[in-house]
Amino acid sequence: MDSQKGNWGKILFLVVIAAFLLIFPALFTLPFPQHIMIMIFLYATLAQSWNIIGGYAGQISLGHAVYFGAGAYTSTLLLMKWGVSPWLGMLAGAGLAVGLSQIIGYPCFRLAGHYFAIATIAIGEITQIGMVNWKGGGGAVGLYLPILEESFANFEFHTTKVPYYYIALGITAITFFVTYLIERSWLGFYFRAIKGDLDAARSLGINIPKYKSIALAISAFFTAVCGTFYAQYVLFIDPESVLPLMLSILICLVAILGGVATVWGPFLGALVLVPLSEFTRTYLGGGGKAIDLMIYGALIVLIARFQAEGFMGWIKKLR
Amino acid sequence: MAILQVKNLTKRFGGLVACDNVSIDLEEGEIVGLIGPNGAGKTTLFNCVAGFYPFDSGQVIFEGQDITLLPADRICHLGIARTFQVVKTFKDMTVLENLMVGGFVRSLSTRKVYREALEILDFTGLAEKKNMRGSALTMADKKRLEMARSLMTQPRLLMLDEAMAGLNQKETQEALEVIRRLHEKKITLLLVEHVMEVIMPISHRVVVLDYGKKIAEDVPEKIIDNEEVIKAYLGEKYHAARRKN
Repeated sequence: MDSQKGNWGKILFLVVIAAFLLIFPALFTLPFPQHIMIMIFLYATLAQSWNIIGGYAGQISLGHAVYFGAGAYTSTLLLMKWGVSPWLGMLAGAGLAVGLSQIIGYPCFRLAGHYFAIATIAIGEITQIGMVNWKGGGGAVGLYLPILEESFANFEFHTTKVPYYYIALGITAITFFVTYLIERSWLGFYFRAIKGDLDAARSLGINIPKYKSIALAISAFFTAVCGTFYAQYVLFIDPESVLPLMLSILICLVAILGGVATVWGPFLGALVLVPLSEFTRTYLGGGGKAIDLMIYGALIVLIARFQAEGFMGWIKKLR
Repeated sequence: MAILQVKNLTKRFGGLVACDNVSIDLEEGEIVGLIGPNGAGKTTLFNCVAGFYPFDSGQVIFEGQDITLLPADRICHLGIARTFQVVKTFKDMTVLENLMVGGFVRSLSTRKVYREALEILDFTGLAEKKNMRGSALTMADKKRLEMARSLMTQPRLLMLDEAMAGLNQKETQEALEVIRRLHEKKITLLLVEHVMEVIMPISHRVVVLDYGKKIAEDVPEKIIDNEEVIKAYLGEKYHAARRKN
């Protein structure tokens, strides 16, 4: 009976949150709060994607910007060179990211622990330098997306952020739902087993390279979707904005602060960190550009010291 | 018919021959004890059969199928399960979740695996602790969990690596009780033990390894009087002293 009650409570809570998110643009009509929510969705989705490989499967990737960049560049270049719809470009970018993830994963998954993380950093850096020097892809100057008529089909809106808000909300909802399904299926158990102990996992019939690859492929897919969304939202991409190491680290930090290997952790992480970053940038901006990062740093130290399970750790304790 | 045949298995670590031309046959439904002094090659043999170590020569046949050098996860699919001498609990998962990981080899339905896990929890006496984290268990319970988790893969051959080492009298008796019930379920058992008195009463046959070589194989009653075995365990000096008397 108790668990039944708990379930209803949970469902009610979710319905309230969903309703609030759906009517948010009507309550807050100014662009700034809408922008903050869009960035929360974006980072929550990125962190959730990372959570699948880094949180559940325990393979710390610090090169996720590669997949983000793959999404952003693929859809943008397809649009600019051949006029391909960004929606198709989004799928193409996600497909490319999945392909890349397998090429990257094959050698890197042979490396244990920290060496895997280091290898992913190296690949991220190589990709960024490669794109800086590839003139056909915009080089260091970057790419300005063509300004098209405002429409859902064109994935461009100039007078209002509301459609971006709902698209971002949709992407976030899908990613979180997929993660929820993964967590409850054999995939979730296998990913966590791989994180827990490789020998035990093998002895229980888990093909480790296969399941690491699956985790990375799912992760890369959603990361790339975010990349395309970002390109269509900002309408300008360059290696400095979509491929930096800092982005890879931020993605991972949001997930870790929120609580890894939990469905809601990445959302909580983004909910705290994105406004923090946006507000400190707004109020302490200009000369103090790095103050948001200093606050991040302090938070990470505090979390690592007092609550290694992230914000979700507190919530679990409260329940 | 032999369920498992190990034929002339040799495993070298550099210059050290950890398993030297070892052959063992296991009959279906049998309980076989594998004993030997420290460093005799018991765990190495185990790891070779279970696909954890590649070996240098020899052959392993399970239910008529050659499984030589197959990877560990394939071997598990075929019906061989093992436990580890040094327990390998998934620390961040609950006892129930630990078990469920093992069940997905046979079914991808979470619901079905969940139900099976509850059964095995009852069977192994872990039901009350199902929501405890792996890291919170006592050593005895971790060993029990190790066994329960491997049972989830529905093995026809179960290899237990020192499942009773470090347990007290009562815990050992409980573990033996589970082993007896597994035997009733027709699961073939290969038990590695360091301690003779634990393994003797339940084994149908005992194989003794020393310095990587099989030095004896017989029913338990005869093994305890086997000269080679006494020499291996107690050394030449004691053996000589015994002879004088």
